[in-house]
Amino acid sequence: MFIWAANGESMRTYNKVTPEGTKDLLFEECLIHRAVERKLTAVFAARGFHEVVTPGMEFMDVFDPEVSGIAPEIMYKMSDRRGRLIVMRPDSTMPIARLAATRLQKEEKPLRLYYTQRIYRNHPNLTGRSDEVLQAGVELLGAGGKRADLEAICTAVESLLSCTPDFRLELGHAGFFRAIADGLPITADQREEIRSLIESKNYAALESLLDGLERTPAVEAMRRLPRLFGGEEVFAQAAPLCGSEEAAAMLEYLHSLYKSLSALGLGNRLMVDLGLVQRNDYYTGVVFSAYAQDCGDAILLGGRYDNLLGRFDLPMPAIGFSVNVDAVVKLLAEQGYAPECSRPEVLVYGCPGHEVKALLYASGVTSQGGSCETSVFETEEESIEYARRRGIPNVAIVGQSVKEYSLADNTEIGGDQA
Amino acid sequence: MKPLRIALTKGRLEKDTVALLDRIGYDCEAVRNKGRRLILPVGDRLEVVLAKAADVITYVEHGVCDMGVVGKDTIMEHGTSFYEVLDLGFGRCRFALAAPKGSDFWSGYSSRTIATKYPAVARAFFESRGMDVDIIKIEGSVELAPLLGLSDAIVDIVETGTTLRENGLEIVEEVCPISARLIVNVASMKLRKNEIESLIAQMEREKGGTARD
Repeated sequence: MFIWAANGESMRTYNKVTPEGTKDLLFEECLIHRAVERKLTAVFAARGFHEVVTPGMEFMDVFDPEVSGIAPEIMYKMSDRRGRLIVMRPDSTMPIARLAATRLQKEEKPLRLYYTQRIYRNHPNLTGRSDEVLQAGVELLGAGGKRADLEAICTAVESLLSCTPDFRLELGHAGFFRAIADGLPITADQREEIRSLIESKNYAALESLLDGLERTPAVEAMRRLPRLFGGEEVFAQAAPLCGSEEAAAMLEYLHSLYKSLSALGLGNRLMVDLGLVQRNDYYTGVVFSAYAQDCGDAILLGGRYDNLLGRFDLPMPAIGFSVNVDAVVKLLAEQGYAPECSRPEVLVYGCPGHEVKALLYASGVTSQGGSCETSVFETEEESIEYARRRGIPNVAIVGQSVKEYSLADNTEIGGDQA
Repeated sequence: MKPLRIALTKGRLEKDTVALLDRIGYDCEAVRNKGRRLILPVGDRLEVVLAKAADVITYVEHGVCDMGVVGKDTIMEHGTSFYEVLDLGFGRCRFALAAPKGSDFWSGYSSRTIATKYPAVARAFFESRGMDVDIIKIEGSVELAPLLGLSDAIVDIVETGTTLRENGLEIVEEVCPISARLIVNVASMKLRKNEIESLIAQMEREKGGTARD
């Protein structure tokens, strides 16, 4: 029986398009990507971080959803010859934790690592999100405490500043919600519901849920939590709501970080959001993110993750962040940053019989820091025409002797005798 | 500073939102006399964008609109990441599971076929019951599907229940209530906190009633 497949997909070949959520980068796009990468990594390297590269694919076990907070359905999966599940790297922090806990076990701590690599996530189709995102980031492993937190945050700020002055940095604390939730008589399900309502700042639904509970200070604190974001005034607003010493200590710590960062001249860039409560993620202490105008998502995300290395059997405190390079590139492009593709200064043409000499001449130009193209056309006329079309200003005709002249006014500008 | 941009779901939610904006002192004349324009100034602090429901979410999520007004139904079907800050109280209706009158939907063990315009909502509902169903997406009048024998039941928006009754269907179970929500882009909320919070507060004061989830 013939069955008509309405979508005809079995017949179609996809050899001229790229998968949804991916794209080719051309010329100026590559330049601006490389420029952003260079600016960021220059800061990382100057501050004493060392580059690592992890594989583009890893065993799925590295990204245990319970720990990573990355849902299995958004990972691109394959299997190896032995049927083990492999995923395309959906995150860089987990592989770096794996690397640090295994190959760098005996190294002097803290480890100061940086990376620039792509991550892959399978987003729902047609939402305009990229499945392939270039991230540049830093992990500072084996160091806890305020000095390490400030070092990571300062590196984050300095690296972003090397690209754009227009961003705001937001601080939060992953433990704050937990500390308040511990004081509530709620089930795990209710706790997750409250967390998700605070995450989406769904004030109304949160209030009606909390209305069902006895009015304790912890309930009132929870009610206020999604609104506790803004400037330094947030600390004063939150102080009376801390029902436990633990929460009060976290708040005080966050405030001291805020003050130190203000003293570094970040005052007007800083924001606080005590309602930052991501699901299942590995963060344990301070969390921070950067936002820029006209960019709907955070351009930088980071935080302290003191329990993650323990999952790889080498417990140690750690903090890190990653910059979404693609988002920064987009931002710079919108601000009019447009590096130009450079044109070679000279087109070198070898007359028949002098092809090798022309190549040697071209090597001479490049070895002295110049730029040139070697003509692949058969005749001098075609070569000159090509140079005019491409806007290459000079030509060098290599024959018995070498004649180099400017196309604009035909003046001889160099060349040497054979 | 650029005006705040708010996307409204075209149609009834647009009218209700405009009425609310009028009450809190925004001059929405331009929206009422919009002609065919889709981006309209409201005073010099606000700009209204008119879009289909699912597109409101898309524009807000990407940050090209700072805020949006959209039904909870659309959020449940398409929702991703944004802040859902206010239940506006209008556009009230509910999601319901409905089947031909007299049929006992929950009985027996043969797997059911469900017709719906909201496959994600239907899937989530039956998953929460631990029930495997076949879901068929229908674009128009979903009530037709059980009448034509394509499905055992439907999951759809119900306002008064008249359409169901007139087509011999009855509600088996209510899935959840629906109303219009004010949503806000995550970065906008952080970068333009004062403007957005004051607008939220004004809308909350004026929306009337104390509608909640």
